[in-house]
Amino acid sequence: MIAFLQACANGLLTGALYALIGMGLALIFGVQRIVNFAHGAFLMVGMYATFLLFDKLNINPYYGFMAAGVLLFTFGYLLYWVLIKPVQNKSPFMQILMTTGIALILTDGAQLIFGADYHQTNIELINRTLRYGPFSLNAASLLSFGIAGVLIVALTMFVRRNLTGQALRAIAQNPEVAPLMGINVLRIQGLSFALGTGLAGLAGGLLLPALYLFPGVGEDYTTKAFVIVVLGGMGSIEGAALGGLLLGVAESLTSLYVGNQWALVVDFALFLLVLSFKPSGIFGRQRA
Amino acid sequence: MKGLRSWQLWAVLGIAAACASVPLYVRNDYLLQVLFRIALFSALGLAWNLVGGYAGQLSLGHVAFFGVGAYGLAIFTDLGVPRWISMLLAAGAATLLAAIIGRIVFRLRGPYFTLATIAAGEVLRLMATNLKITGGAIGLTTPALFSGQLFWKWFYLAAIGLALITLIINYRVSRSRFGYYLMAIREDEETARAVGIDSLRCKLQSLLLSAFLTALAGALYGSAFQFIIPDSVLALDTSVQIAIITMLGGAGTLLGPVIGAVVLLSASELFKNQFKESHLLIYGILIVAVVLFMPEGIVGALQHLFRRRTKPPDVAAGIAPGGRDLSGSGTPRRS
Amino acid sequence: MRRKTALASQAVFLCALLATGCQNKGGGDTVRIGVITSLTGSLAAFGEAHKNGYAIARDEINAKGGLLGKKVELDIYDDQSKPDQAVQGVSKLVDQDHVTIILGSYSSENTKAILPAVTQRQIPLIMPTATADNVMESKSPWVFRICAGANDYARTTIAFLKDAGAPKTMAIIYENTNFGQSNMKSMTAAAKQAGIDLVAVESYEAKSPDYKAVLQRVKKANPEVIYFCSYLLDATTLMRQAREMDLNPKYYTSAGTGFAAAEFPTEKGAGKNAEYTFSVSQWLAEAKWAGSKEFDAEYFKRFNSHPAYHAMEAYSALRVAAQAISDAKSAESDKIRDAIKNLNMDMTPFGPIRFDAIGQNQHPVLITQVQGGKYRVVYPAEAADSKAIIPAPRWSQR
Repeated sequence: MIAFLQACANGLLTGALYALIGMGLALIFGVQRIVNFAHGAFLMVGMYATFLLFDKLNINPYYGFMAAGVLLFTFGYLLYWVLIKPVQNKSPFMQILMTTGIALILTDGAQLIFGADYHQTNIELINRTLRYGPFSLNAASLLSFGIAGVLIVALTMFVRRNLTGQALRAIAQNPEVAPLMGINVLRIQGLSFALGTGLAGLAGGLLLPALYLFPGVGEDYTTKAFVIVVLGGMGSIEGAALGGLLLGVAESLTSLYVGNQWALVVDFALFLLVLSFKPSGIFGRQRA
Repeated sequence: MKGLRSWQLWAVLGIAAACASVPLYVRNDYLLQVLFRIALFSALGLAWNLVGGYAGQLSLGHVAFFGVGAYGLAIFTDLGVPRWISMLLAAGAATLLAAIIGRIVFRLRGPYFTLATIAAGEVLRLMATNLKITGGAIGLTTPALFSGQLFWKWFYLAAIGLALITLIINYRVSRSRFGYYLMAIREDEETARAVGIDSLRCKLQSLLLSAFLTALAGALYGSAFQFIIPDSVLALDTSVQIAIITMLGGAGTLLGPVIGAVVLLSASELFKNQFKESHLLIYGILIVAVVLFMPEGIVGALQHLFRRRTKPPDVAAGIAPGGRDLSGSGTPRRS
Repeated sequence: MRRKTALASQAVFLCALLATGCQNKGGGDTVRIGVITSLTGSLAAFGEAHKNGYAIARDEINAKGGLLGKKVELDIYDDQSKPDQAVQGVSKLVDQDHVTIILGSYSSENTKAILPAVTQRQIPLIMPTATADNVMESKSPWVFRICAGANDYARTTIAFLKDAGAPKTMAIIYENTNFGQSNMKSMTAAAKQAGIDLVAVESYEAKSPDYKAVLQRVKKANPEVIYFCSYLLDATTLMRQAREMDLNPKYYTSAGTGFAAAEFPTEKGAGKNAEYTFSVSQWLAEAKWAGSKEFDAEYFKRFNSHPAYHAMEAYSALRVAAQAISDAKSAESDKIRDAIKNLNMDMTPFGPIRFDAIGQNQHPVLITQVQGGKYRVVYPAEAADSKAIIPAPRWSQR
């Protein structure tokens, strides 16, 4: 029983990071319907930015991640106007092609600039474990969990309450009528994309102390992010967050009872299962 | 063949003969390998075209069939089946797999469908990595379908043959009733179903055919390089590459996949030799550039170049009417 | 319109065809040595290590006057971490660029894939880093391996353990890749032979942030020894999480790589969590071989990081090739091959190098332990510079 609860706890901690990664894509893919195959690459750029701040300026990643978020936000905004806007309304084919190209450029570019070698950040916090009776929780993971929680709540409130957020949802619900309501569609969409990449940057910064860094690190996370978004339900940001947590727990429990090498298979199996029975996702409201 | 003008028949035969004669004057194994790859990916692109081009279902899981072809060849031969029968059995297994996967994924539309195909491909790759019968991550040696000093020549010719077969199949499908059903589904599935087309059955059939051909290509590929691992024949980026080749060349057209394969694969190899580590960067820039400046694919761009304004849709020629317009506005393109 | 499109298409086709055919054919005033390695793809970090090691060797050789009176040039082909690309590389290097010797590739699977191709073309191949044992199974007369293999890792570890305290139970934790699976196989066989009970054999998906569930399963089985087969920096994550889980086997051992990386015992790696871990090693900077320290210093000067043994193996492979060419006084492949067979390099920074009948260099495997933040050699006795500390103290007592 203890092992089960411990595994669930660990899964939730990892799941919080997945949730952040998923939420960024939920904005871009779930709300804007842009099939963004470069999401993992944005994550990687966020990780490198945070790492550089740590390596050169000794800024702890738990502060640095915010800078990574801002950097990626700006980068995303610019990228939207230059490369994404042309394919915003085109078929998913085009979006996949464009973002695949962008991902290649970012990944190979990172390798050319930083080299292919791996890097780690070893900060003191990551070695601290909090023990509660038979349970142990990693201090750094707990901190990430807390930060992710704050961000998730903030983002959800933003989308619900704030005018920009509401404009976003309006565009998602009915792109033809939205401009008639006085919404500057393009600017809002640019902001939404930038917000999505900014979230990826934040997630990368938080992921860095827990993992390690190399140019290809984002690739697996792109697929995972899509799984999370679709699991959670398209257009639902809270759904993506919960989807991320669910995935984290599923992986952890699979690792405990079956074996870690099957964890990813369970991810995809869960994904296909949910899609077969509830194509709009666990928390989704729209038609598949 | 019905409706085919004689000059086109000669043109196709001429090109086929030219391709087949290449090994007579190209003895360089390296070039033969590159050409083999080009021919094989043309075949793969054409096979994918049935599902992704004509039916408009953007599948990014085709590597699953490719891998089943390669692994099937190795595993069945190990069990004692003669090589060529193994290859057919492997293709049969892939078709069976397509039937199973198809029932699950074809109920989904748009990006959901695509993601489900990605998931299917990845599940297969992970299973191949974890199971003993596939050799795990250590891999399997594949039987040589052709051997001897000049075996690359034969692999190349086999690939050309497969490309030709898939080309002919594409041609027949594009002007058959089945093909029109597929295109109707692509343009507007709801309406197609409203007029009585059994969209699930049609999509499934296109997938079965596509899977069979893709698996044959996979078996050839696995055999040519003599050794397979999950990352070489079940990798997601192979699925993406097949789709990119067809889309950039011109999905839903006959020549699109071929041109896409030729241009992208030669570019890729050229970049690798010229630019060493930065070759992926340049390749990425190429893709972005084509998306920005040639949104209808290379074939579409060439057609624009030569287009005259008031020409009625030319059904009898080698390109399907309303060939895939990548701008995705959904209305059939008039030429 | 259709005709023009068709014609234009054919024109594009032909241009692309010709373009692939037009490659550099290289000049006759250098000695070209072919290299296949993974410059891009999942193994790019190691391809980079290779490239750096080769570069240092090449510059050293050229500084001493080159080979056969000419400068040495490397013709590097990127296999993109895929075996089929590696096979294509052999063709490109041999059929197109006419090299007469090839070094590479990085990984065992890519190396195994190219064996038939080099054998068919009768080109000698020197393998710097492929440790899986199936690469030597073909017994091709053209193939030579510098490094020790996975079986040697397992056997040496078992021999050390017998010497040190003869534990009875072992758990293997291995990553789900060729490296991991091959080493797991080798250790499974070696442990069975030595009568050690394998209480847990756990595979994991590399590059994950969380291995605690895996470690939990192993903890339940209570092994005396854990044998890790980990690449990359998973070693750091594993040790940190082992500490969190309070996993206390008597011995932490490993099949090198992640646990033998230069950063592993330092603050940039696992730091204090690395203490007391054992690892097999093919080479470390402090080794008693002439030139080791100098190689480490030169590598650090150029690339600002300390080399792992992969870079040294690449360096040695090129040194061997150069020695063979100079011994043979020729750049012809069969003469080079014969020279390699008869090669006897008494002292290189990688120790003595000599190939046996099947082309394997009997390279000694060392067992190191992290003591005080540094790697100390603890086995075999002749090479040891410190005694092993056994058992590892419990985490709570550190």
